Amino acid sequence: MDFKIKIKNKEYQIGLKEERGMVMVKIGNKEFVFGSTKEDLLPNIQESSINKDCSRKEIVSSLSGIVTSLFVKDGEIIKAGQKVLILSAMKMENEIVSEGEGKIKKVMVKENQQVKEGDVLIVLE
Amino acid sequence: MQIERFKSIDSTNKKAKEMSNAGSLPWTVVVSEIQENGYGRKGEAWYSPLGGLYFSVILPRGEINDLQTLTILTAFVVAKIIKEDFKVEPLIKLPNDVLLNGKKICGILTENIIGNEVKASVIGIGLDTNISDFPLELESIATSLEIELGKKIDNEELMQKIIMELKNQFKTISQ
Repeated sequence: MDFKIKIKNKEYQIGLKEERGMVMVKIGNKEFVFGSTKEDLLPNIQESSINKDCSRKEIVSSLSGIVTSLFVKDGEIIKAGQKVLILSAMKMENEIVSEGEGKIKKVMVKENQQVKEGDVLIVLE
Repeated sequence: MQIERFKSIDSTNKKAKEMSNAGSLPWTVVVSEIQENGYGRKGEAWYSPLGGLYFSVILPRGEINDLQTLTILTAFVVAKIIKEDFKVEPLIKLPNDVLLNGKKICGILTENIIGNEVKASVIGIGLDTNISDFPLELESIATSLEIELGKKIDNEELMQKIIMELKNQFKTISQ
């Protein structure tokens, strides 16, 4: 069975199949195989890349466009609701604001840079 | 419809965004006789002396695609109204401008505030109505209804018509 799920505007292709009592889950290019016992299941789940992704705090672009203004820099502490950049997209000016607070680990974009939907704009510590 | 009126203001879009963040309702209108720092796309200055029509509307929460459609439709709305009311032949320069006799007469700017979702949207319209002359650097690229028609325009009536039509268009595209 194949299906897609969308998490924070990023789409993931999921494949799911069962063979000889084993469950195989394919997420993008990564495949996870689960046995029929709990002992088989736990280590695999802990190593999954989804868990790693969840622990990262990122501001991700929800639309494609050009970064026309950048208001923050690496190491800066930002507050919830703070304007971090302006994305000129779809004939509109879009102020991208932070949903949470934290210290900026890395600003991933520069002014005048083209970004796509799903691109990471800012990584927080 | 709630209309907040100002004699002079920094920018109607800026004020509308502040008001939206502070909880003002959709379709609240901010109108000012003068904008001290009116701006268009990419922060370009919009000449906003006394006499012109400068207003912004807080939009209902919408899908980003609907907001883009509304931005483009707004140019059509303005062009349609001035064509019908003043018997002129405006030209729409997509996505955000309306021209008359090859010169810009109206600019439209939609601004969204986006976190995990669209938190607020405002659309601003600058329409050169009762402006009798422009600075030298704008003379060749900007015009006004007063210059083209040789008469004064009722800004209030024009604004009300545009807002009513915007509401109709938004209702249609959100369905």
